[in-house]
Amino acid sequence: MGVYPCQNSITMENVITIKDKRYPELLGKIGKDAPEKIYYKGNWDSEIFKNCLAVVGSRRLTSYGRKITEQLVTEIASAGVTIVSGFMYGGDEAAHKAAAEAGGRTIAVMPCGIDMIHPEYQEELYNKILENKGLIISEYEGKFPPANWTYPRRNRIVAGLSKAVLIVEAGLNSGTLITAEFAKKFGRKIFAVPGPLTSEVSKGTAQLIKEGAEVVTEARDILKDYNISLTKPNLAKPSLNIEGIEQEIINQLQKEPLEADNLARILGMSVSKIGTTLSLMQLKGFINQEGGKYYVD
Amino acid sequence: MLIKVPSVANLGLESIKVDVEVNLANRGLPGFEIVGLPDKAVDESKERVRAAISSSGIDFPAKKITVNLAPADIPKEGSLYDLPIAIGILSSILQFTVPDKSLFFGELSLDGSLRHTKGALLMALFAKEAGFQDLYVPKDSANEAGAIKGVKVFPVENLFQLTSHFLKRKNIEPLAYQAILEKERTDVGRLYAAEFDMREVLGQEQAKRAMEIAAAGGHNIIMVGSPGSGKTMLARALPGIMPPLNEKESLEVTKIYSAAGSIPPGGSLITCRQFRAPHHTASPVGLIGGGTRPHPGEVSLAHRGVLFLDEFNEFPRQVMEAMRQPLEDGYLTISRSKERVRYPAEFMLVASANPCPCGYLNHPKKNCVCTPRQVRKYQKRISGPILDRIDLHINVQPVDATEFSDNQKNSELLEPSEAIRERVILARKIQEKRFEKDSIQSNAQMKNSHVKKYCKLAKEIEQLLRQASMKFQLSARSYMKMIKVARTIADLEGAPEITVSHMAEALQYRPKIYESI
Repeated sequence: MGVYPCQNSITMENVITIKDKRYPELLGKIGKDAPEKIYYKGNWDSEIFKNCLAVVGSRRLTSYGRKITEQLVTEIASAGVTIVSGFMYGGDEAAHKAAAEAGGRTIAVMPCGIDMIHPEYQEELYNKILENKGLIISEYEGKFPPANWTYPRRNRIVAGLSKAVLIVEAGLNSGTLITAEFAKKFGRKIFAVPGPLTSEVSKGTAQLIKEGAEVVTEARDILKDYNISLTKPNLAKPSLNIEGIEQEIINQLQKEPLEADNLARILGMSVSKIGTTLSLMQLKGFINQEGGKYYVD
Repeated sequence: MLIKVPSVANLGLESIKVDVEVNLANRGLPGFEIVGLPDKAVDESKERVRAAISSSGIDFPAKKITVNLAPADIPKEGSLYDLPIAIGILSSILQFTVPDKSLFFGELSLDGSLRHTKGALLMALFAKEAGFQDLYVPKDSANEAGAIKGVKVFPVENLFQLTSHFLKRKNIEPLAYQAILEKERTDVGRLYAAEFDMREVLGQEQAKRAMEIAAAGGHNIIMVGSPGSGKTMLARALPGIMPPLNEKESLEVTKIYSAAGSIPPGGSLITCRQFRAPHHTASPVGLIGGGTRPHPGEVSLAHRGVLFLDEFNEFPRQVMEAMRQPLEDGYLTISRSKERVRYPAEFMLVASANPCPCGYLNHPKKNCVCTPRQVRKYQKRISGPILDRIDLHINVQPVDATEFSDNQKNSELLEPSEAIRERVILARKIQEKRFEKDSIQSNAQMKNSHVKKYCKLAKEIEQLLRQASMKFQLSARSYMKMIKVARTIADLEGAPEITVSHMAEALQYRPKIYESI
């Protein structure tokens, strides 16, 4: 360890070298792929690296992928598992966000220098991660700009830090699959979320499943590998007092997300009546809307 | 010998009297001079007048001719002084007297005939106010001038005909246009000229409903959706469901078109709502109005009608910002160093935009290839203050024609524009009555004080709205907008009070996709 001649904020306190005994154990095991130095923001606490799960997903996360990420990560992070991801928009962002919102710890591995936030408009999320005792780490110092080659290299750290990798959605030939490749190389377990085969971003996960990745349908599938059993069983949602038309709408939306126009056509109602009902249902929290389509929470 | 022929000068929508003084002097070298700040078009009038008189079979006098356009300090523009100048010269050589209380107006052709000239309606209005009885205008502009009651319009074909009239050889019959106008005012085809009927639009029920509400309350509306989802078609069908122009509105609109020279030869009062769709490459002056002699822009030409801005976020920032004043006040003032002109611009803004640069964000079939940063940047191009002035926000999704049963595909069974229009007209009547004592006409124009007065909300509705504004993060302005839209929905139903269901439907049209801006 030496004194760094940079003018920026890097001091001896926020860099860990591979020789340091605080260096994450799992990351050290990946051989020559292991980064020499890790720059970080936040409180370095070796505990955080004990139970890590990498959660990665496509940049073009669908509303389905987002929903699943939120569901799984919320449960996993509140069970005490650290969520590791790459801070990119889409799948990474959803994972970090869900973890931080559940009060869990999360590690963001940056593709750029430690003093940069990339993408810069996710500053709010950046602060949220740190507020929840998470870590921002990078192998690059100062204001090192992100480049095409830093993204895949960053992924090896994401995989290297974690016991297992959860792939939510991934296209073919995507960066997400690169993370999976690293996990395979390092002998880490791969979990994949099944999705519709018609979706571009489910093709990668389908391929992983074909190759032997474990299918995830609930948080417990992953947590058992971490020897954590969910303390409170997943309670069935309290039955809501829904009747008549609202129930019919929910029945339709449970099959697939729909637009107001389609719902009106299927149920044979006027759009103004459907619109009224949908607004009220949304206010009651039964349904949600994204990109013009309604779906059941 | 000095002869005075009265004519006018149009400044914006105002007119002032101009005396065309023609002096034919026997002394001095023969010549032809125009003074009184003529512009190039007025100055060239010398050549037209000379040729037109010769073509009418009259020898052009070899005298020193001086024409003064009084008052001499106001710049004169346009070709309308050809006729008064020619009449001045002719009355001197043919020895007829120019009748009292008459106005002359029109451009001459070299063969002596008169051409359509812009501003005939403005002149006729001025004539009525200033007490001129007879108007001599080109035949092609006669219908336009004839739209004003209480003035006698003489449609003039050529100079020879007019001299015969003054020499009492053969009279020109004054135009009897009021009867024709009455007929035109009841002609449905002319009143509601829309490119499409609403029944031609397949699916898009919610968007159609939003259009109905927009038309009923005069609300501005923005449609966001992928290419090919029918945004443009919906917008172009809109004039067909708007209420007809009343007589006063019709005159207001025609005045602007007359000033812009946009009334075609033979055209008269504009009786249908105008649909203006300027392209996004339009210049700020073209859109807002201006020029050294301020001309009305697209926003004024859309007065009492629809201003459709397709690809809204492609419009330059400067142009968008310039629309704030007309959107707020309903008129705009164009100030130039030499003159200041006020044009009305009370239009309904219909905007359409793609959700992202590639256009396919949230598209059911195609994948969007834009990064969130690009989407953000694209959506931010729309000025926040402008977005704030738009009451109805809708998402328009592409329609898959195969999804429709044959029954639904049969457009004959869909609701025609006419049926929607009837509801709209009823809702407008309710509003007319409501705002009898106020200076506004529609729900969209309500200020906060009006909202307080006319939109009393029951406790449960207020609670609902408060809950919604928390959940959907509505701004204070959006809160008011929701109430106005709910009022219009209630009016469409003929309901005296806003109910929960009206408010809940209004919430469907809250700012959605672009709300983060």
